[in-house]
Amino acid sequence: MPMECCRVNLPPPTAGRREITGLSVIEDQALSMIAALASELAVARERIDTLERLLDANGTLPRAQVEAYRAEGEAAQQREGLRHSLIAKVFRPLRDASRRALEG
Amino acid sequence: MSTPSLTHPMLPEASHDEMAQQLFIRDLKMWLGGEIEPLQGEIARKLDPGPSHNDRDAEAFARLHEEPAFRSWAGMFRASQEIMWDDIWRSVERQADALDARADAVSLGSLKLDPDFKAPAYLVDGHVHIMPGGYDLDAPGVKQGAMMDRGGAVYMLGRNGGFLNDGRGKTVLAHVYALYPDLAPRRILELGCGVGTSLLPLAQAFPEAESYGLDVGSSMLRYAHARAGHLGVAAHFVQGSAEQAPFEDGSFDLVFSAALMHETSAEAIERILAESHRLLRPGGVAVHLEVPSRYDELDLWSQIRSQVERDYNNEPAWQAATSADYAALMRTAGFKDVAVGFQDAAWAPAPGQGGFGSESKGVFRSWFVTSARR
Repeated sequence: MPMECCRVNLPPPTAGRREITGLSVIEDQALSMIAALASELAVARERIDTLERLLDANGTLPRAQVEAYRAEGEAAQQREGLRHSLIAKVFRPLRDASRRALEG
Repeated sequence: MSTPSLTHPMLPEASHDEMAQQLFIRDLKMWLGGEIEPLQGEIARKLDPGPSHNDRDAEAFARLHEEPAFRSWAGMFRASQEIMWDDIWRSVERQADALDARADAVSLGSLKLDPDFKAPAYLVDGHVHIMPGGYDLDAPGVKQGAMMDRGGAVYMLGRNGGFLNDGRGKTVLAHVYALYPDLAPRRILELGCGVGTSLLPLAQAFPEAESYGLDVGSSMLRYAHARAGHLGVAAHFVQGSAEQAPFEDGSFDLVFSAALMHETSAEAIERILAESHRLLRPGGVAVHLEVPSRYDELDLWSQIRSQVERDYNNEPAWQAATSADYAALMRTAGFKDVAVGFQDAAWAPAPGQGGFGSESKGVFRSWFVTSARR
């Protein structure tokens, strides 16, 4: 299913990207995907940490309420957007490799 | 980077999550450099073909590629750079309209673009630092410059003047004070000015002078002009090549470059030095600053590390720029009394500090400099 809801402009291509001798193209992509995943995880944890600290400081949110929450309506749509941009980021090497293959 | 004290109004901001992305990639780079790279050095020493081998560094580099641990380090080294650019590109794209509006508000100085300009092949065929689009991309508005500026600050890991990234320019100024204390330039030119990080300290030190920055990219120069204006500096930015600068003979009192050569080619280095001679009036001063490493004096791993930069981070002339005999090249360019050595990295340059000598104190503590008076 195309992600029309959140399509963004693509960055310009990078010229002169060399293969790393002996590193397969797919290994190269996998390394980059793992690093991007770790980045996403770090960002998410920082955000959760911000929220938990603020909520705790304000004394406003019992943990059980978080556990019971389910996203609906606009909240569900916004979460879909977050998931789509996460996918676009983590799996960027696949797109880049395809673009390079097409250019070559 | 989380508490930027040295910043300026044109710098792209980072949202909560963008800051987390940028801090993550900075820390990943530091971990790869601090924790994993020393191990690569040990592996390289094991694979060293020995001093009698007539192509020792290239042979060790080739042997390393047969070692999976090196390949995974090299792959992650480049992945971290690609992710950094991807993160910053998205952040800049998000705020592009606001950045353009801020740029439009600037009236200080000037901007002269050449729609027919063609950048040198070494910048077009390999985008330096694998920055998407490269230096010369004519992106709409100031986007490409904004990406370069923010990326530079993350890439430098805060070691070069925070978000001002002006350590090199301040070191050029310190060198002028150290060796040419009587110079009172009326016209200053930086060859390869990028977003103007190095030009501004010179322009601010000599406020009576007209300061010019020359570089290849229109979007980058639009950003440089706006950045300078927001920092209160009336500088002039011109599109063109450092090898054939669109200025008349003898039209400057100070011509300099700051870590430009390693992003060009062996042939271009000679032409840029000659061009700096042509552009100077008699008595004017050329200063060319480069990374402090001298290739022949590096240990085996550091030589290999510079080949990694060359091949996997598109620093095309890293080896050429750190191997060149600048005294000879400067003489060929027409200069006579040529200074070659190392200038202490300066943060508050002032006349009378000196700081120029024959020994490097190391990366980010010294910069290689060659200079001469015409």
